[in-house]
Amino acid sequence: MKRLSFLLLLGLSQLASAVDTALTASPVRIDSYDARASIPTGLTREKAIRQIPAISPGEYFVPPEVGDIPTSKYGDMVKLGRNIFIDTQHYAKRYVGNGLNCSNCHLQEGRKAYAGPLWAAYPMYPAFRNKTRDVVTFEERVQDCFRFSMNGIAPTLDSPEIKAITSYAHWLSTGAPFNKELPGRGFARLGKPRDPTPINGEKLYKESCASCHGIEGAGQKFTNRDGYMFPPLWGKDSFNHGAGMSSVKSCAQFSKANMPLGKGWTLTDMEAWDICTYIWLQDRPWDPRFGWFFNIFAPPTGGN
Amino acid sequence: MYVGETGVSYSSIKEVKNMKFQTANRDQAMFKKSLIVALGAMVVALSGCDSKEEKANQAAIQAGQKLAEKGRDAIPGCVACHGAHGEGIAAAGYPRLAGLNAGYIEKQLKDLARELPPAGVAIEAVAKDYSKTPRIYSDLTVFSPGLRHDDIMSPIAKQLSVADIHNLAVYYASLSYTAIPVAADYQVLERGQDLALRGKAEYGLPACVSCHAPDGEGFGADFPPLAGQPSIYIVNQINKWQQGQRDNDNLGLMKAVADQLTDADKLNVAAYYANRSLTVKGQQ
Repeated sequence: MKRLSFLLLLGLSQLASAVDTALTASPVRIDSYDARASIPTGLTREKAIRQIPAISPGEYFVPPEVGDIPTSKYGDMVKLGRNIFIDTQHYAKRYVGNGLNCSNCHLQEGRKAYAGPLWAAYPMYPAFRNKTRDVVTFEERVQDCFRFSMNGIAPTLDSPEIKAITSYAHWLSTGAPFNKELPGRGFARLGKPRDPTPINGEKLYKESCASCHGIEGAGQKFTNRDGYMFPPLWGKDSFNHGAGMSSVKSCAQFSKANMPLGKGWTLTDMEAWDICTYIWLQDRPWDPRFGWFFNIFAPPTGGN
Repeated sequence: MYVGETGVSYSSIKEVKNMKFQTANRDQAMFKKSLIVALGAMVVALSGCDSKEEKANQAAIQAGQKLAEKGRDAIPGCVACHGAHGEGIAAAGYPRLAGLNAGYIEKQLKDLARELPPAGVAIEAVAKDYSKTPRIYSDLTVFSPGLRHDDIMSPIAKQLSVADIHNLAVYYASLSYTAIPVAADYQVLERGQDLALRGKAEYGLPACVSCHAPDGEGFGADFPPLAGQPSIYIVNQINKWQQGQRDNDNLGLMKAVADQLTDADKLNVAAYYANRSLTVKGQQ
């Protein structure tokens, strides 16, 4: 009798636990606009406090306006370069292997300081690159963007695509000093107070990145046209393991100055490191420099 | 309470030990039974799902249309200001509602119905020190309700029930809309376009298109359309962000943008978006 009642009890408890798991199994989704800290006036919100670097924004190099592109053969090439740059999916489709455009990282058509601006990069080439252990020209540098960041095929050095992008960079650098490091070049400089943790990064990602880039990091596609409204951060349509943005450091430096969009410099250095460590742990296309064996059994590059 | 590795909770360690005496057969049989029941329930639920939802949606649209056209008691009909087909009144700065995202309309009405806290009163945020409690987060944040104030709209929104708000949102999202471009000065349009497509890179001000979609048609429930909205309305809203009468944007993104816009920027970019052509197909 005792044994029977015990089994009955056990059955009941199991049933209860089954109900429990069924209830908790459905994912609880918080509305994206509710996931933020609560202070009614934006002025005092902790996330609204910015720490702008010592150079004031007005002192960045200002490239020429689009309306001032000359009407000439050169101007046509510049316009083609700009088109390729902001709509790579259309104008350089055959060289691109994912869903990104150049301007997804080189923000605001390659003009934004601390987002790899072309006007600061172009006058610095040819330059030595640690990645290839060699001196590379600007054209070769652009080839690497296609190979790694766009997860595609590098256009040949004499291709119209490379010529057009180089022309666009050349035009954007009109009036910039030659071979001189400008403020806003590349990405922001970061401190690293402690080792980053992806656990904190996941939390921060879901709070301040996921509403645009998605919980799964797959970005968001347009409903009324092709392509991505918000670019994917990992997965098959994102940059591969060999890309600069795949290294935690570059990603953190980029995010610090530019993300969330329009609210640059609001993440702390450590938050940027944490978020990018979380992103780095996710799955993305292989590094094209290595074969399948190395890609599966060796750790991807850029882990710190 | 002890939580086993499989996630099933047991009331005591003793019970866990007793579990081991059980044969695996019993577990499997129970599992199979519950699986069959669950599958049956799913089939029943799925078969009736689609048409039911559609019917509810149609009913909501009809109820929303009725409320929008005739109003109820002290609630005036929406058509008085927002036009017979939700096209708005450009001259008065009343926004169009036709073809907007249902989630967006719903949120705005709820936010309009909230009281602004009295001046100088700040809701304290719970300190978020994730480094100390990295694994628990859902209960450490305090969510702030969005706030939006309008002298005309707020008193009306306060009288609407949750069902009313849903019905109206679904109704206006179901309407199609074709914008009539408003002519403007060439220089104004040129400057507006420059701001809309490129922002001000040297000041870290992002372009409008980077969130409001390439043609300003809006994206999802967080990013409303700019094209096809009266220019007066857009300028008014940016002013409200600057003055603290509107604070209900996703992540405070628009707040950060609005703080950087000059008066000329507002006029230029609003004129540019009023000048865009746009066709929106309503979502039934």
